[in-house]
Amino acid sequence: MTSKNISITVNGFEEKVPENASISFLITHFKEEDSNLIAEHNGRFVYPDKYSAIVSEGDIIEFINPNFGG
Amino acid sequence: MKTISSEERTRYDRQIIIPEIGEDGQKKLKNARVFIAGVGGLGSISAYYMAAAGIGFLKIVDMDHVGLSNLNRQILHRTGDISKPKTESAVEKLRDLNPLCQIQAVQKEIRDENIMELLGDCRIILDATDNMETRKILNRAHISKGIPFIYGGIDGFNGMVTTFVPGQTPCFECLFPQNSPPKNKVGALGPMAGLISSLQSLEVIKIILGMDGTLKNRLLYIQSDDMIFREIQLKKTPDCKICSLGKGDSCDE
Repeated sequence: MTSKNISITVNGFEEKVPENASISFLITHFKEEDSNLIAEHNGRFVYPDKYSAIVSEGDIIEFINPNFGG
Repeated sequence: MKTISSEERTRYDRQIIIPEIGEDGQKKLKNARVFIAGVGGLGSISAYYMAAAGIGFLKIVDMDHVGLSNLNRQILHRTGDISKPKTESAVEKLRDLNPLCQIQAVQKEIRDENIMELLGDCRIILDATDNMETRKILNRAHISKGIPFIYGGIDGFNGMVTTFVPGQTPCFECLFPQNSPPKNKVGALGPMAGLISSLQSLEVIKIILGMDGTLKNRLLYIQSDDMIFREIQLKKTPDCKICSLGKGDSCDE
């Protein structure tokens, strides 16, 4: 049985990812390494304890590295 | 509430004529007490704008001395200030700009042990630090005191800013609960520091004036290489170990 892929937009690019992919999966998959990474799901901030949230077809995900310089 | 003198009326004329400010607003600015954490890249600009706008009392705190590599962006300091304490350099310029603004300069590191004493009766915290650890100290203090905390940060051509208000917004550690290892050196460009700190200064002024439209529950993220300004909607979380226990109970919806 092959897993089905869905199309989502990640950091402005259309990507095919497995159906039932979570934010957590995407962080690993797209090699986002900053421990304080900001994840945005359809315009909403996603708190780290909600990274188990599953993405759906057409969702828009942005990963933003925080800026701590001054 | 302190009144406005004729000299002040003239000095601030161009902002007093703004309907949202007026003479009443100028009095509010004069009676305000603002804490600026750091007078480096962000603090140079925000302290200057705060003093220029007629904020009555500014407390500036920094532990560093002016270095040559600061001068590409820390425009409060000049070549002749190299090796001076930053607060000493800053206070000279700020008093020269506006002798009507009372400025208290403290050349110290901001720590858990001294933050409450440093804050004193300041009613707003403007974050102009360059590291996560100090921001966490400021975050806990603003929750404990129940006062706004205006966060800003830069990295190269990018920057972000938001306003945290206990009881109304998430807190800094709701957004950034992890401890990031400190980066050795973050790229810092003068205009980017200027842009973010100007936005922070606007937030402070609007809060003092009691205006709506602040960046509460909105993180403004700027990618200036492509001139993209975006905002991320922030939502309260009930699970924050910091603000859900604080005075403001800020993570409860």
